[in-house]
Parts: sequence; C-alpha cells; structure tokens
Amino acid sequence: MAPPAATAAPSVPPSLSLPPSQFARLQPHAYLLGHLSPPSASNQPSIRANGRAPSQFRVTSANAGSLTHTNGSAVVRIGDTAAVCGVRAELLHTEDIASWSVSQASGSNKRRRLADLGEKPTEEDEDEDPEEDRAHIEDLNLLVPNLSLSTGCAPGFIPGAAPSALAQSLSHQILSLLHSTRLVRADDLRVWYQPPNLGPEELERHNDEEQMDVDAEQSATAEEKPREIKAFWVLYIDIMIISLAGNPFDAAWAAVLAALRDTKLPKAWWDVDNETIVCSDSVADARKLSLRGLPVASSYGVFEADAAAGWRANVIPDAVEENAQAQKDKKGSPERWILADPDGYEEGLIQERACVVIDKEKDGKTTIVKMEKNGGWTVDTEDLRQLVEMSARRWDEMKRILEQC
Amino acid sequence: MTGPTASLSHLSRADGSASFKCPTTGYNVLGSVNAPIELPARRDALKPEEATVEVFVKPGNTTAGVGERYVEGILRTMLQKVILGRERGFPRRGVVITLAILGGDAVERGDSYLTLLPALLQTSLLTLLSAGVPMSMTFSTALLAVTKSGDIISDPSPVDAKTASSLHVLAFSPKGHLLLNESQGRFDFDTWESVRERAYSSCRGAVITGSDGDIAMGEEGEDSRAEDFIRETVEDHLHRDYAWKIDSA
Repeated sequence: MAPPAATAAPSVPPSLSLPPSQFARLQPHAYLLGHLSPPSASNQPSIRANGRAPSQFRVTSANAGSLTHTNGSAVVRIGDTAAVCGVRAELLHTEDIASWSVSQASGSNKRRRLADLGEKPTEEDEDEDPEEDRAHIEDLNLLVPNLSLSTGCAPGFIPGAAPSALAQSLSHQILSLLHSTRLVRADDLRVWYQPPNLGPEELERHNDEEQMDVDAEQSATAEEKPREIKAFWVLYIDIMIISLAGNPFDAAWAAVLAALRDTKLPKAWWDVDNETIVCSDSVADARKLSLRGLPVASSYGVFEADAAAGWRANVIPDAVEENAQAQKDKKGSPERWILADPDGYEEGLIQERACVVIDKEKDGKTTIVKMEKNGGWTVDTEDLRQLVEMSARRWDEMKRILEQC
Repeated sequence: MTGPTASLSHLSRADGSASFKCPTTGYNVLGSVNAPIELPARRDALKPEEATVEVFVKPGNTTAGVGERYVEGILRTMLQKVILGRERGFPRRGVVITLAILGGDAVERGDSYLTLLPALLQTSLLTLLSAGVPMSMTFSTALLAVTKSGDIISDPSPVDAKTASSLHVLAFSPKGHLLLNESQGRFDFDTWESVRERAYSSCRGAVITGSDGDIAMGEEGEDSRAEDFIRETVEDHLHRDYAWKIDSA
C-alpha cells in the first residue's frame, strides 16, 4: 500500500512541494507510518505524528466544581478532547416506588453507619451487604448517566441531532462501569428516618446498650421501631463532550469520576409533621459521597504498518508460529504500534482497540476492573500485560490530577 | 451437559439466516443477514472503499435501548474485521445483520451484556456462513465466569453470572489469535491469563505443538469444542442440501 517513496516523504521533502498538513490529509496512513518508522539513515526517533511517544498520553487537566447549579461538576480535558460532567441529585420518595415494600427496608436497620466526611472507607466494605447495595442502586436506577455528543464537538456530529450510536454506547459503558465497580455507595444515597420511641422505656434503653443485642429478639418490636428509608437520592450524571478529538471514553469517565468526587448532597431528613423530605440550606451540613476506589480508564489503539492487513484475503499465520517468528526478528522494525490515548487523526487509521480500566488498592496492588480488546488479532497476552502495566502508571498520574482539582 | 444447537437458512427471504440455542444460558437467538445490499443513506460513507457493516440487535420483550447500541458496536467492530468488505460487489454496499433474541433472561438497563454476547457472535457467524459472505476467518467464542472463590466456570448460568466476581468473553480465530476480549468485574492479570487458557482450550481443544511444527490435539474425546460446533452445523446443513446429489452418486 505505502510505497517507500511516500514513506520517506515527510522527513525528506521531495521536489514536488507539498506541505506536511496536506500530505497528512491525502495519505494519512503513509504520513503516520513515516513518523513511526523513520528511515534508518536519518537518526530520528520513532514518534507519532502529534509528537508523542507511542506510550505517551496527552496532557490532562481537570477542574472540579465549575458549575454552581449542580451538586457536583467537573471539566476534564485530555488534549483537545474536553468533557463536562454535572451531577444533579433529586429525591425519590420510597412511596413513589411501586415495588417498594417495607420488608425490604427493615433488614438494613442494624447497620447504622455514619458516613464520615471525607474519609475514604475501605475496611467497612465488609459490613455492608453487597446484594442490598446492588439491589438499591441497580434495580431502582439511582444512577442515571447520559452522554451527549450533539454539541458540535466534531464535524461528524451534527449539533442538536438525536443521540448517535456512539453516544448511546458510551452512556451504556459508563452506566455499566458505575454498576460493576460499585463506585457509589447506596448508603450515601439513602435518606433514613428513625421513628421516635414514644414508649416509657426510652430512658432505660440508653443504659443497657450492650445488652440490646441479647434480648433484641423479644423486645425489638416493642422497644425500638426500625429505622426506615424514606427516600433515595437519584444522581443524574450528564456528560457533554464539548470537543472531541479522539478517545471520548477516557475523558468522559474521568469527568464522571471527578464530578462524583466533587458531589455534595445536602442533609435531608423526613419531616413528620409535614410528611415530606426537608433539605438543609447550609453548606456545612452537606456531605460528600464516599466512593469506592478510583477506577481510571485508559484506551489504546493499534496502528498497523500494512494498511492492507485488514482486508486482503491473505493467509494469516498461525498464532503460535507467529509468536516464534516475532521472537526471532525482534530487532527488525515492528509491524504495528500500540498507541496510547489515540487522538482523532489516529483513530481514523486504527481498527484494533483496547481499553483497560484499572484500580489500585491501598497496598498498591493493581486490580483490573474492565479489559476490552476488539477489532483485530494482533494484541494478545504479552501486549495486554504491557497495557495493564502502562495503565497502572497512568493511574498514578490520573490520581494526582484528580486529587489536585 | 448438552451443547448448543443451531440450524441454518430457514428464513426464505433473507440472504442468510441461522438460529442458535444455548441450553445452559437459555438464550435463543435468531439471526438474518442481507449482503450485499444498497444502503440508500450511506452513499457518502466514511470508508467508501469497503462495505458498511450494520448490526441490529432486537431484545425479545422491549425496544432496543442503549445496551443494544453498545453490543451492536462490539459486534460491528468485530465483524467488520472478519468480513472481507472489499471483495467484488461489496464496496459502497452494506452487510446488514439482524439478530432477534427469542429466549432467555432479558438484559436489564445497565446490566452487562456479556452473557448474551457469545450467543450473538455465534449466531452472526452462522448467518454470514449461511449467506456465503466472504470472510477472512471464522471464530469461536467462550463465556467464562470467575466465582468469588476464584474458580473458573465456563458457560455460567444467569444466576452464576450474576454472583460472579468477573465475567469474560473471548473469541479466537481458527489460527489461535485472540480476536476479542471483554472482561468485566474485579480480577488481576494472572486470573485473566488462566481464563484465557481455559477459554482457548474450550474453543480449540488443548493444543500441543510438536517439534516439527505440527499441532497435535490433546483430549481427543472432548466433544464440546466450540470450533467444531460451527463446522458440524455447516456440514450437517450441506449434507441436507446436497442429499439429492449424494443419493444419486
């Protein structure tokens, strides 16, 4: 596909004068290939057309709390891709939930956990029932992310048009990742109500708190009315991609993460007299969400030297043989490059993609939360291992950026 | 354990069709493909030199939502690479695959689509084979779940999949390349490697490469290799189609 003359063109200007920008448009594949595999005579390093090394991510910046009318918001910019995310909380009364039954609420009454401000709880993970957490957040749809690309972010997306397939699939990916990482705790979203104890045994109860558990079975119903959930906070997470230059998922997910870290929910309680939920005006009463971990997404694309590899009806060598072959000619120029954080130009030339979402525990252990690879057959175990390592380094960088914003 | 069942070309109006039924997961998918056809709105497609692959997934009990868009995207990227869209008659035209989910648990909003993905991939491959669409390779898929205790189970039931700590869908080419990997849930790389090994052997059988480069198949008796399933389905169909010829010979 790419003749050698064309490959050399970007580094050695031919007699036919053609500015690099035009060459990039006319022969995008040859242009990028020319940058990645410069002629061995010229002592240039292998670099991408945008000046980055293959494993280098774009400059990332994040800014939280920019929108004042939201409960939490963030702007994340990765190179020329920018995503704005706003989190708006609305109350969902349990009496408005058709399937809500009292039995569902009463089970959780023993775990009285105080959500501490700003504390990153990891140890208390065990004492929360994961099944109930899941049931509340997923079955009641307490998290509603929506991603919009119809903002004029890129020429391909008409402003004001119906959500494209890409926007819908990104919305789903974000929701599914929110669910599978269990990032938001259901307990942060519950509004509890403790019915007052009108009986005379109120005073005694305080004295023998220790013995409560022993005789709870007989006297629980008589002594203490169970705490009940009166409402839930529903988080509407709206993401607008205001500028799209490749890799929308990383930017959108980083924006969601930063916005959720910034989200403050007002103190809410059940007002018995008015039979309604009342929220406190004071900012001091509002509390932040305590998120579980910090999953960071990093995407990659595979650029193949042979532009025809994808469509020629060629005989593809056996994977095992190919590996052996690859070991032999390790020194030769590679046939493909794994490009971290591909920009818009590169995405047009890439078919095979990979996406790794990483979280690190307190002790520095790397956990993979999601790993995807699709659209080709060149990336296998060894490459994925490298991608995981690369993503782990990216995690450190993103953590620093998110903590500063 | 009974394996999946499939039948080919039973829709007369479509260019190719197939139905696929997996007893362990309970999914039943009916697929059809029309190729190559004119797509009126795609005259100025992004890549005019090759065929546009369109995939539509229709859930059994509702209209398609964002989850379907997502799984359609996965299928499209995967099949675009496998279909030879530059063969004669294909450029500027379309390959339209429609997959209807007839049975099995419905995928709720925000649920992972991974449990359904292998069935959808197998069905689309069978429909493409039934329509005779040129492809560079076939593929075989595996669905695996890692339980909380660290055990790997292949073809988990919907209940197992719900409680599993991670779910993995892998697809391999007949030459052993990893074509697709979709993993969700918490796991580390070592777990993934053993999942890959397990998936590889369930797709292709345990492969031991001999010193002369020949590939010797281990576990000859194993009946549930995903790769063989596709081959057997197509062979059965051909036998039926050419029964007149075989009989007269």
